[in-house]
Amino acid sequence: MATAELTTTQKPDWAGRYFHIDQVLNSGGPRTDPQFAAGDEVKKFLRETSKILVIGAGGLGCEILANLALTGFKDIHVIDMDTIDISNLNRQFLFRPKDVGHSKANVAAEFIMKRVPGVKVTPYFGKIQDKGEDYYMQFHLVICGLDSVEARRWINATLVNMVDESNPDSLKPMIDGGTEGFKGQARVIIPTVTSCYECSLDMLNKPTAFPICTIANTPRLPEHCIEWASVLEWPKVFADKKLDTDDPEHIGWLYKVAAARAAEFKIEGVTWSLTQGVVKNIIPAIASTNAIIAAACCNEAFKIATSSAAYLNNYFMLIGTESVYSYTFEHEKRADCPVCGGEAVDINLKSDTTVEQLIDILIEKQDIQIKKPSLSTSTKQIYFQAPPQLEQATRPNLEKKVSELVPDGGDITVTATTLPFNLSIRITYSS
Amino acid sequence: MLHDAKDINSSTTAIATEAAPDNKTRRYDRQLRLWAASGQSALESSRILVISGTATSTSILKNLVLPGIGHFTILDPAKVTPEDAGNNFFLEGSDSIGKFRAEEAVRLLLELNDGVDGNADLKGLDEIIDSERGKEWLSEFSLVIAHNLEQKVTEKLSHWLWQDSTRPPLVVVRSAGFLAEFYIQYHEHAVIESHPETAQSLQIDKPFPALLKYATSLDFENMDVTDHGHVPFVIILVRVLEEWKKAHVGNPPSSYEDKKEFKKEILAMRKKIDAENFEEAESQAYRAWTPSKVPSDIHALFSDPQVTNVTPTSAPFYHLVHALSRFVEEQPSKTLPLTSTLPDMKSSTDAYIQLQNMYKQRAEEEKEILKGYLKVPVDADMVDAFVKNSHALKLLRGKRYGQAEENKVAFAENLQTSPKAYAIHLALSALSSFASKQQQGAPLTPTEEVLTSEAQALLPPGADLPHEFADAVGEAIRTPTADLPNVAALLGGLVAQEVIKVITKQYIPINGYCVVDMIDMSTAVLG
Ligand SMILES: [Zn+2]
Repeated sequence: MATAELTTTQKPDWAGRYFHIDQVLNSGGPRTDPQFAAGDEVKKFLRETSKILVIGAGGLGCEILANLALTGFKDIHVIDMDTIDISNLNRQFLFRPKDVGHSKANVAAEFIMKRVPGVKVTPYFGKIQDKGEDYYMQFHLVICGLDSVEARRWINATLVNMVDESNPDSLKPMIDGGTEGFKGQARVIIPTVTSCYECSLDMLNKPTAFPICTIANTPRLPEHCIEWASVLEWPKVFADKKLDTDDPEHIGWLYKVAAARAAEFKIEGVTWSLTQGVVKNIIPAIASTNAIIAAACCNEAFKIATSSAAYLNNYFMLIGTESVYSYTFEHEKRADCPVCGGEAVDINLKSDTTVEQLIDILIEKQDIQIKKPSLSTSTKQIYFQAPPQLEQATRPNLEKKVSELVPDGGDITVTATTLPFNLSIRITYSS
Repeated sequence: MLHDAKDINSSTTAIATEAAPDNKTRRYDRQLRLWAASGQSALESSRILVISGTATSTSILKNLVLPGIGHFTILDPAKVTPEDAGNNFFLEGSDSIGKFRAEEAVRLLLELNDGVDGNADLKGLDEIIDSERGKEWLSEFSLVIAHNLEQKVTEKLSHWLWQDSTRPPLVVVRSAGFLAEFYIQYHEHAVIESHPETAQSLQIDKPFPALLKYATSLDFENMDVTDHGHVPFVIILVRVLEEWKKAHVGNPPSSYEDKKEFKKEILAMRKKIDAENFEEAESQAYRAWTPSKVPSDIHALFSDPQVTNVTPTSAPFYHLVHALSRFVEEQPSKTLPLTSTLPDMKSSTDAYIQLQNMYKQRAEEEKEILKGYLKVPVDADMVDAFVKNSHALKLLRGKRYGQAEENKVAFAENLQTSPKAYAIHLALSALSSFASKQQQGAPLTPTEEVLTSEAQALLPPGADLPHEFADAVGEAIRTPTADLPNVAALLGGLVAQEVIKVITKQYIPINGYCVVDMIDMSTAVLG
């Protein structure tokens, strides 16, 4: 596996290497900030000083690493906790069949260093949450090519919280990309200055959830049969074995069980591919869309690092299913954003709303996206999901009215393991 | 091993089951979910020619090799320069300098996918386009892509390809610094599987006989409460609509008051206050008064000369549209064939499956009626796809590359109405005109004056240049020959995406130019 030490032997740049890039760095254009330090100064910063972090070495990550290396970033770090799967090979072009099972970050880093001489890529095979502020502080820029909302929320909140007004170096621009099929988006987040990832949570599509009673009693779609197999039957048959959606044997079992149920109810359409798609929540992904979005992200990183042209303000959205449609706009900061807004989120309840109902309201709220919230005020614990003793002790509160516990205009602090920050909500009552 | 699964295994032996997918299906899983086996097979049969092995060219090819095109050729006599070695990921840095660019790129691109065949051709396009054998060779490709090719050769190539509609489509790609554009030249492009976001109509306003009979024969009043709460909304709506029409001289609800009343009647049928199927019927009530019409662009296809004058040699698409037009004209519903796909709805399994079967059976009958109008036999899978997508068919008619610009007055008008995108197109065109007048291989150093005068030459005398042109031309002067890695990568994605749409005949490709500005990060389609 690649290690950072392998590449400390820096080859000198050959004459003409940066012929293309240097046309942009030797002088500004009509839309370049007049302060642009054209020439050697900016080249030196880009190639010798700048340090950039890439989060994710998958579909977007592979593209991002290649683009950054070619544009002259020479100190690149990459984090990814995943290993390579055969289904990655239709787009994650730094990986080959022999790499299946190995760390994405390690293989990608090694490939880039071999292909683009003089570039140092430092991989970390693990989770972003393993690293702390001191780690993130060393970078000038962060680019995310993630497929997980939770990881994005975490890094977003971390970077926003790191901002210290007395220290300009604590402001780390974050560039975020995402794709789904022929669609994608790229955006620039300047923590505390522009809208942040959390500000735009309500733009996410709500995942389709099938009611348990439909799955159990009145299946109509092949998906209902698959959910029955994975949600109800698996835990019943394999009480002690966790379902591993990457294990073909597990998928095979679910498929057979779902197909049997479908046959019983005369439902058509249960296939292996659909079974896998439903239980793994597979999102279609192709090389071309990843190339577009990664290029847009890297171009922003390059413009921010060099000031050679104005950068995206602040959101680029692409829909490629019908012609090429894109929309570039400024996503507005939310005053009540729990991460960057500073204002509490207002929630209006009926005076007889119970704590349990409030929890349901919070889970339903598209702009908060929380799974198992725990609630407290500055003086008392309202309800805690864990540890078990605390859960038990606070459980009686679930049936109480919120108005018995919190005064009108009072604040509740909401925490959850999936939430990388404490959310403050202000409760008001209407009769 | 999952021994516990035994009884399930034995109890399911009677059911047709598929085995776990093979390696190829697993590799392509994430894209098969977009274009299915039919799209994949079209890709695997395709042969793509890319002229010049620039960073942009290899970026495009990368995104075509990964999903698995059949074959590609890079046509390029050039050797790798130090400049190439710095910006092209499909060269091995300084080790590739002095080697043939096409050979190096083909070797490294082929590493991406064992299933793809690739070839480096070291001839120049000049040589090919001037010989009969060369032209024959060109016409055997499915599609041709050219990046930053000299203007006169590009024109020669595009004219020759255009002369005969059976010759391959051409994608012309131009880029300079942060600005870029590409054009797809095709005569026409018909899409059946456009993957629309909207579903076909359930035709509740025009229920087919079996559905109407069933809905009106149901004894709602004496039905058991549970069954009553499981009647699918489609049946409720057909029933309420039928009763409404009886009471309103055959008319559906039309005024706001009518519609409110109609919804009230739906809810009045409930036996349980929280019956979800009736709530769903109320929220879907608009389907009862929204007429199932043939969309206007589909209707327009019916009078297309290629459709009205179908001959035995016409493409199957035209035969299908012709049959569809007769179906609409002669069938009592006067609308498109019925969908066989029901959305999910609140219902018991049995009631849902029964309704689904009614739709399926009727859809099958209507498909047979449509087939009866066909003058030539058409592949069954194609008829199926056609019927399923008859509300979202698309026929694009293209222009020859450069044809639009021959109308200078129209160009000037467009420049006034969409100044930003047309200014970029104009600046890139001016740069190409300028470059074609320079000595080959000499450094390209245009000035604002010379590019402005090249631009003026493309417009009517005295035409005004918008201020956006200054922004675009300023970039062209700054970076006349820069093939920036990020721009190459973005074009690589956009162009490959459009090529995939053209080859698979799925989704809808651009018709005209796509212009890209990577400073403010925007795109626009012109034409
Ligand atoms: Zn925010």
